[in-house]
Amino acid sequence: MTLEHRAFMYGELQQLLDTAVPWLREGVERDEKVVVVVRETGMNAVRDVLGPDGKDVEFYPSEVFYKHPVRTLRDYQGIVQDARPHTVRALAEPVWHGQSPRETREWARYESLINVAFEHSGARALCPYDQSVLPQEIIEHARRTHPKFARGEDTLHNDSYVHPKDFGNGCDSMIQLVRPRHAEYRTIESDDLHDIRAFVGERAVGHGLDTTVARTLVTAVNEVATNAVRHGIPPMGLWIWSDDRDLICEIGDNGFWHADPLTGFLPPESALQRGFGLWTVRLLVDLVELKAGWDGTFVRLHVRR
Amino acid sequence: MQRASKSYPAAYAGQIHANLDGQAMDSWFQAERSVNAIRPGDHAWLAFSGEEERAHIIGDFVYDGLATEEKVVYVTDAPPDRLPGVRPRHGIELRSYTDTRQLRVIPREQACLSGRGRFDPDRMLRTLEREVDAAFDQGFRAVRLTTDFSWVLNEPGRSDLSQMLGCEHQFGEAVSPSTMAMAICQVDKHACPQDELVALRDTHEVLVEVNPEFDDGILRIVRTFEPHGLRVEGELDAARHAVFAEKLSLVTHERRRIHLDFSRLRFIDLGGLNLLAHHATGLPTDDGLVLDHLPADVENVIDMVGWHRLPGLARGQERPFPGAGGMAS
Repeated sequence: MTLEHRAFMYGELQQLLDTAVPWLREGVERDEKVVVVVRETGMNAVRDVLGPDGKDVEFYPSEVFYKHPVRTLRDYQGIVQDARPHTVRALAEPVWHGQSPRETREWARYESLINVAFEHSGARALCPYDQSVLPQEIIEHARRTHPKFARGEDTLHNDSYVHPKDFGNGCDSMIQLVRPRHAEYRTIESDDLHDIRAFVGERAVGHGLDTTVARTLVTAVNEVATNAVRHGIPPMGLWIWSDDRDLICEIGDNGFWHADPLTGFLPPESALQRGFGLWTVRLLVDLVELKAGWDGTFVRLHVRR
Repeated sequence: MQRASKSYPAAYAGQIHANLDGQAMDSWFQAERSVNAIRPGDHAWLAFSGEEERAHIIGDFVYDGLATEEKVVYVTDAPPDRLPGVRPRHGIELRSYTDTRQLRVIPREQACLSGRGRFDPDRMLRTLEREVDAAFDQGFRAVRLTTDFSWVLNEPGRSDLSQMLGCEHQFGEAVSPSTMAMAICQVDKHACPQDELVALRDTHEVLVEVNPEFDDGILRIVRTFEPHGLRVEGELDAARHAVFAEKLSLVTHERRRIHLDFSRLRFIDLGGLNLLAHHATGLPTDDGLVLDHLPADVENVIDMVGWHRLPGLARGQERPFPGAGGMAS
């Protein structure tokens, strides 16, 4: 069962309702699991128009559901798995405002990853883009991350669509890792990382992170550092610094890791699968940036206070 | 009784752990000590769950004493080669130690029974004093005493617990200031009600447990017997995966559900979680591994990942009280 992943450009709420509601109703009639994730402004309107047909539909405000792309992908996967043997039909409208360029890039990557993560799930996703408010850059991303467009009741083929691997490569090439001069540095000598954990824990608490966030950061740093020791080439080291509300840890080694652009983005079935470590690292912290080049491999973890 | 050196040998410089095992704790002064860290002046308590646990603790207590030229006194009616908790060890003939009087096995009648065959606390105390003096005269640097009190608690027509508590108290007062004497009072955990067990335990300053399977100052692994499994303390990272896997295998040979007590775990890396899942899925039964007393931070990581991604791992008992553990290192 293939995935149907369509973008839908609209300018007024009524357009959204005219296209989305009949489509949702169709899902209800076919006994699919129907999920609506839209911004709070549109939610009540969708609910009202659906009327009694919406009684088995699950509603989530986008502002709550779209907080962290890796976690959102995990949550969607949970919905798809829990719904089996029914397939899922989701009206899915991410949040695009109030983001740094880095965050926007990761949310665009997320839209692209949907195509791989749910490739064989039989799920249908309709992603509304409000053309009247969204910047052109976001609309461009939408063209490159959705294989199809919805227009009214029609489905149009999208020639601008690029494969998620290529899209991921594009995202990765945008990553610029510039380190401030005041970053503190510690060498990583072996997989006995007690001292590194103590150091990061201390800085995390000093930055004002609560204990749980500090501990998850320590777990994430430990994982990346362990990988550097196992697979990297010395010298290995850790830089740490704060940038306003962000605490940033970067682990580097001298190796050149040719990582697949999808590595660690797709939720693994279990901890026994390859990629579990990096995926969990992405899950645990706010943002992970990975850059490999001839000068080495660098993994940067961001956590916000 | 001042001949014994004040500077204890390295064997006594073991770690002292505050008791955080969640059992009712009335006394703040109680310390948990592995049996190899028992030192002169220790009046220690052992509520054993079964013969296996006792064999680990009392066996080490007795054999370590014999190996380090200390005197061992065991009050029991059993013969020297069948002392409770002392399984035969290759190449060691216990009877030869009774011949040299390094090992004294004193029948109860002689050590602590009244003329009417009842437990007599005063007589027990006199036996202690006599044996310590004798060890001093013989030139031993220390004397290790032990006995199993379970029978006293189950004596027909036993008076209330106060007699026993009084005895333990005096026993403690005699041992604590001593630079030579150390004692382990054994009781079968299942031989008396919980409240009596707690009351008796609290007359001891030291709680003795098995020697750790591993301890490098960062990670400490201790066998547990009830429930069957391991207590994992400190920090588990990739540098210690191999030893942890080895100890996990050690408790896996039996067809018993394995519990891992994580109450004192301060850190486990993702590779460690992977290792647990790997081990759990390879078990012959579907029981899996039970994770007891998960620290909130570890549970948080597992919750984020999802328990279903860690096949074979089951959430066990909740943490006894929140906040224990706290920020690592």
